[in-house]
Amino acid sequence: MNYAMALDYQNCINCKACEVACKEENGVQLGADKQRIWIGVVEGTIFGKPFINLYPSQCNHCIDAPCVNVCPTNASHFAGGGIVKVDAHKCILCKGCMEACPYDARFVDDTMVAVDKCTFCDHRSLVEGGTTACQATCPTKVRVFGDLDDENSDIVKLLKTKRFFFQKEHTGTLPKLFYILPDDETYAKQSVSHHTKIHTWDEIQPLYAQARERRSKEWRK
Amino acid sequence: MKVEISRRRFLQGSVALSIVGGTALSQTSILAENAKKSKELPLLKQVPTICEMCVNKCAAIATVKNGIVTKLDPNPYFPKSRNMLCARGVAGIHALYDPDRLKYPLIRTGQRGDGKYRRASWDEAYAFIQEKLVKILDEEKDNRSCIGYCAGEGLAEHTFKTFMADKFGSSNFLNHSTICLQTAVSGYTLTIGGYGQADLENAKYVIMAGANRAEAILTPDTMDMFKRTRGRGMKLVVVDPRFTNSAMHADTYVPIKPGTDLAFVLALTYVAISDQIYNRSYVAKNFVDFDKYKKHIIENEYTPEWAEKITGIPAATICKIAHDFMANAPQAVYYQGRRTTWSKNDFQLRRAMALFSALGGGIDVKGGIVFGKKLPLGEHTTTAPMYAQAKPRIDKNLAAVVGATGTWVGWRNMVAEGKSPYPIRGMFVYKQNPMLSVPNTAKTRQMFEKMDLVVVIDTMPSDTAMMADVILPECTYLEREDPVQSFAGIEPAIAVREKAIDPMYETKPVIEIMRGLAQKLSKPLWEITKKYDEDVQDELEDADEAEFYEENGFDLSEPFMHSQEETNKHLFVEKYGEEAWGILREKGVFYPNMLSYFKKIDNNTYQCYPKDRKFYSVLKLEEEYDAETFLHDLCVNPVDIADLKRSFNTPNKKVECYLGSMESRGVDPMPTWKDEEFVKVPSGQFKFISGRHAQFTQNSSQNNIMLLELMRENYIWINDQEAKALGIAFGDTVEVSSRVGRVRIKAYPTPKIVPQTVFYIHGFGAKSEGLTFAHRNGASDNEIIEDTIEPVHGCANMHDTIVSIKKV
Repeated sequence: MNYAMALDYQNCINCKACEVACKEENGVQLGADKQRIWIGVVEGTIFGKPFINLYPSQCNHCIDAPCVNVCPTNASHFAGGGIVKVDAHKCILCKGCMEACPYDARFVDDTMVAVDKCTFCDHRSLVEGGTTACQATCPTKVRVFGDLDDENSDIVKLLKTKRFFFQKEHTGTLPKLFYILPDDETYAKQSVSHHTKIHTWDEIQPLYAQARERRSKEWRK
Repeated sequence: MKVEISRRRFLQGSVALSIVGGTALSQTSILAENAKKSKELPLLKQVPTICEMCVNKCAAIATVKNGIVTKLDPNPYFPKSRNMLCARGVAGIHALYDPDRLKYPLIRTGQRGDGKYRRASWDEAYAFIQEKLVKILDEEKDNRSCIGYCAGEGLAEHTFKTFMADKFGSSNFLNHSTICLQTAVSGYTLTIGGYGQADLENAKYVIMAGANRAEAILTPDTMDMFKRTRGRGMKLVVVDPRFTNSAMHADTYVPIKPGTDLAFVLALTYVAISDQIYNRSYVAKNFVDFDKYKKHIIENEYTPEWAEKITGIPAATICKIAHDFMANAPQAVYYQGRRTTWSKNDFQLRRAMALFSALGGGIDVKGGIVFGKKLPLGEHTTTAPMYAQAKPRIDKNLAAVVGATGTWVGWRNMVAEGKSPYPIRGMFVYKQNPMLSVPNTAKTRQMFEKMDLVVVIDTMPSDTAMMADVILPECTYLEREDPVQSFAGIEPAIAVREKAIDPMYETKPVIEIMRGLAQKLSKPLWEITKKYDEDVQDELEDADEAEFYEENGFDLSEPFMHSQEETNKHLFVEKYGEEAWGILREKGVFYPNMLSYFKKIDNNTYQCYPKDRKFYSVLKLEEEYDAETFLHDLCVNPVDIADLKRSFNTPNKKVECYLGSMESRGVDPMPTWKDEEFVKVPSGQFKFISGRHAQFTQNSSQNNIMLLELMRENYIWINDQEAKALGIAFGDTVEVSSRVGRVRIKAYPTPKIVPQTVFYIHGFGAKSEGLTFAHRNGASDNEIIEDTIEPVHGCANMHDTIVSIKKV
């Protein structure tokens, strides 16, 4: 099992159903900077015409997760399936992981006195037919959660037919949020930069499988 | 005398009710069952419910642990909302557990509006209402219409209405229609026979003007369309003064001056007709009076060049849109929208939109505007007493067609300005907040101040509740069973809201409130009727009083005596049987063959109906015109529409170009642009427009902490260039003033809005101190919106207000 998420981000309408479902499902502390998941908004004008691009996001559950690497107490760890989690009782709030994370996906939960983050809803998504709260509630079905090791999972089936990219790929953490590039070239160009590397499943799969093999020894059972 | 008696019996008749009525079960057996249930409280259960965070009614599953609702998830069985629940839906838990909720009946102790109340028992509250009502009705000689009443939209609206209209006997009812989309519903209905539903799962070309499905979520439209935009099968044109989240998905975004949509549609029609690109065989077969309309459009020279000057949209863009639309027709839709009335020409705008869609042939076909099917439910009847002294509603003559839901602004103004033909002495308000939702708040306040008895039934201490003499606390939607409802559509279904937990505090569902009130009021009000109603006096000469009272429906509590669950069972089992009832209770949803049709395809996709079992084209199948099915919306009284529909010259369901029946009422028979009706913006000032977004529903969710997380307060959108000239920067507090009021609000300068236009979302700016989080948070739009009405239904013109802005 190697859990990941694909995001058909061009479906997003910024309604924030996912944010609320996440907070309600996981009892996330209230507060503007307390987010396990969020919608990244890029807006501006091109030749006077407004545009908005939306990039729904959350923890990338990187294969080479820098937050796990830097944690002095092993509070940040890989759970089964490569899900990056925090043991609240081991966390000493040094916030090293928050510094290390390229995605700013972590925050301090004052009620737990520990760093908190997305868990891919492993309490509900890993049961047969289950999925994350954010995917279940989404009106336009942006997200597809699934197992990269399973050829027949929803996510692998989708990735095989699409091109995709990662956020901040250059940091080398092997992130597992796959952003599905629009098939339509015009729309594809509008939502990525010139530098964005575009991938296909056939090309990326060996690299990810290799890295998974290397790091999965650390995964807790 | 005998003639009068028989006339009386004839009029009395029986009123069809969808919510109430008799079952064979006695009260005691119902109570016994309830008592048994509450003993064996399961630790974990999943209860199907219907969301009430907005009016869309998505099906949800409430997870209840140890009697506490811990999570709301989508219910995939319901075809209308499939497997989705938006931010508001998921945040419904905080409507239930809002610490500011109304918990006990309250009786006012201070001045009206100053928020001072004392806790009272239900008995005390009922007794207070009884005493006041008896005095008022005695003084008004049993004119039941001296008590007005209003209700917000919801599954139990009808329960309240049954009490106030059918049993209590007042004709002065108001609901959201005339501050909502009555002009749109009736414009479409009178033109193409129904309001319908746009089939956005199959449409290839959609013009969405003013509607904003990304931020004003409506299912299945929102779910269907945004999976198909951006080069994935649906070409989308968004016409809006603002660059919205829907515009973000558009292939073509067309900024437009507010209030000029009619000119845009007329020009599209001109191009379609003069370039002969419309579906000529369809028009020949299905239109009535097309020649008149064609002549009207061509002779008035509604050219794209003419429209460019009015709308600000380049003529070439208009030509291209008309051509692209017709090239994709009939899978092309000019989206009906669900907006409030914008300006005086709104009814004509909606007619022109419907006619333009119909020119392409996209009515009652897959990918066009479809009517779908509605599954029947059983009916119950109650006897409505006749009150000879009750007078007709006061606002009948304020517009061409004032229906049973009145004209909110017109009615309110008559009362506030003392222009009512007879005094309106009191008001019952259920689940509506006119202090925030009706234009010109100062006048709404004036209206309430003139009244001797204001009763508010609500879950939250809203601004309107603060105007009440008595506040009766209703429980939230998660604490009650509501009337079972049938949802029409391409994939029709029946859904039920079951009770997730028992009502908290001393709150009650509205059916129980009505029962309690009716039991208290029936006898004392009967005495008043006996005193003043000569018909009743005459009849009592030969009749036994107790028998007469019973038979003629003067026992006002009769429709409310059974539990909602029993009534629902009766309504449902009559049509579908016991086994289906079991499915409905378990899944929350039922439609014939559901268990064999329903399939999970993957975590994101469910099939409710197989492709070949959906109801796209139905007109040939439906022999009779069933207004309720075709209307697709509860905003307008189907009877009003059916009356108009029947008065047509053409009973053959054709597309109506020329409305002769309206002409006699002083309404233009064909959509006509009138320069003199258009509100121009003087230099240095702005036109104010309002709207919704995906995180709040009007003002009902304004105190919800989870939603306030997403948006703390509302900001006023102002064009960035204009803001710069005025020295206004992001976050500056500005004062916005119109002829009727002024507010202070923070500024959001942005290129996403056209010049001379400002916008902020509706639903903020509450003044009630009972709302900890919403109190004085942002600004309320209706404090500054002027109270003018359009001439057809008396709907409030929401976008005809000119405002000035200054930095403070």
